[in-house]
Amino acid sequence: MFHWLEKNPFFFSVGVFIVIAFAGLIEILPNFAEASRPVVGLKPYTVLELAGKEVYKKDNCIACHSQLIRPFKSETDRYGQYSLSGEYAYDRPFLWGSKRTGPDLHRVGNYRTTDWHENHMWEPTDVVPGSIMPAYKHHFTNIADIETAYAEAVTVKNVFATPYGDEFQATKEAWEAHKAVVLAEAKTITADMKNKDVKEAVAAGKIPEIVALIAYLNRLK
Amino acid sequence: MNALMIKGLLFAAILIGATIYVVDSMNIDLSDPINMITMIGAIAIAVLTVGVSIKYINQMKSDTAGGELCEDKWDGIGEYKNELPGGWAYSWLGTVIWAFWYMISGYPVNAFSQIGQYNDEVKAYNVKFEEMHNSADASTLKEMGESIFLVQCAPCHGSTGDGLSGKAHDFTSRMSKIQILDVIAKGSNQLGYPMGAMPKDMATGADAEAIAIYVAGGMKGEQPAAFAACASCHGADGKGMSGMAPNLTVFDETLVGNVVKNGKKGALGKMPAFNDRMTPVQIKALAAYIATLKG
Repeated sequence: MFHWLEKNPFFFSVGVFIVIAFAGLIEILPNFAEASRPVVGLKPYTVLELAGKEVYKKDNCIACHSQLIRPFKSETDRYGQYSLSGEYAYDRPFLWGSKRTGPDLHRVGNYRTTDWHENHMWEPTDVVPGSIMPAYKHHFTNIADIETAYAEAVTVKNVFATPYGDEFQATKEAWEAHKAVVLAEAKTITADMKNKDVKEAVAAGKIPEIVALIAYLNRLK
Repeated sequence: MNALMIKGLLFAAILIGATIYVVDSMNIDLSDPINMITMIGAIAIAVLTVGVSIKYINQMKSDTAGGELCEDKWDGIGEYKNELPGGWAYSWLGTVIWAFWYMISGYPVNAFSQIGQYNDEVKAYNVKFEEMHNSADASTLKEMGESIFLVQCAPCHGSTGDGLSGKAHDFTSRMSKIQILDVIAKGSNQLGYPMGAMPKDMATGADAEAIAIYVAGGMKGEQPAAFAACASCHGADGKGMSGMAPNLTVFDETLVGNVVKNGKKGALGKMPAFNDRMTPVQIKALAAYIATLKG
């Protein structure tokens, strides 16, 4: 049989592939199935948080900030509990990043607050004197796209069975009904903010990007 | 003894000499068995390499092929049917048995986890850290406190602890007038002191104003009569009756510890709880450092 295999390189390759693939499957699949389940208590992102995540992606925060704390003492001392893969179950896509020009943000919600983010995004050097992070003043005037965020929530609910409630439907009525929830959440954020223009915009039913972004950053715990 | 043998011995001698020279010049401690075994291993490798090379070079010079050929030929190149060497076969069987032992009882699948290793490391480190610093002197604590402050506190309170012009609590004085008026008006039940909640509106109007000026000024000069409302919990001297209520004069260890543990929401904003991020020794160190910031 081995002589036969030696004379038939195609079937020899198939044999090698099967042996290696089998070893790979028993190594990878059980662990993958276990680790990709959401951790207990994990909730899907709210629409406001999703809108903030879009801002995070759009302004390319991932270029300088990671969202992955490795199980090393030096990292957990600074950033908190190491990350588990189940925590990213509702991240589509995940924003692990691979570059830390700035600090890791995976648990930034544990040790920074709304008013700190407000000061920091307006002018980073006001709170961190040596910071090389640019100011993001346009977040205070640009309006966040919550409609798209809502559409994203409905899509991941329908396609990936992300556990959003039954009220998430792809209809205009459902969106109008949910908009009030998003605005109420935005108001809990602006209650801790000082910028008058932002407060007025939210009171008038428009949500500036900074509010969505802070909602997203506060959610990272 | 032929020329090849002499060259081989010479080469082996050079390798051994070089090994000993390196060991000697790097000041390696040979009483450590690991170092000793490593050196003997290096010498053995030199001797074996030379010995095996000599054997095969000699064999190549004189050996002729013999034995039965396989049926198959590849582009005219044939292959001898060699018997499986016994030593090789037994080592192979041994490896198979060892592999079963390795997978089933030696180092079974899932026996190692990176997180398990992390947990062990952190546990061992924490024990060592507590042991090393449980009777640390004042200057060590202050130094440790400074480094903790710069990492954990400075992003909001500023690297000098001045609160970045009102963005966070200013550690160079105990409290500002605005903060005191705010806490008198709103009360507080955040820090987990044994005295419990501070009710709101214990003093109002001019009384509150007088208290705020007096406390913000470091409790110097004549005590306003209205301070009696505060004194029942914070003590007549404002020192918090040995940890029963917050100390109004300085940032003592109890106060720093309670704020770190519980977080705080006040006139300036909200501070999150840093409970699981600092050990008792680190909180003590932080308090020691904050005490030195006072203007």
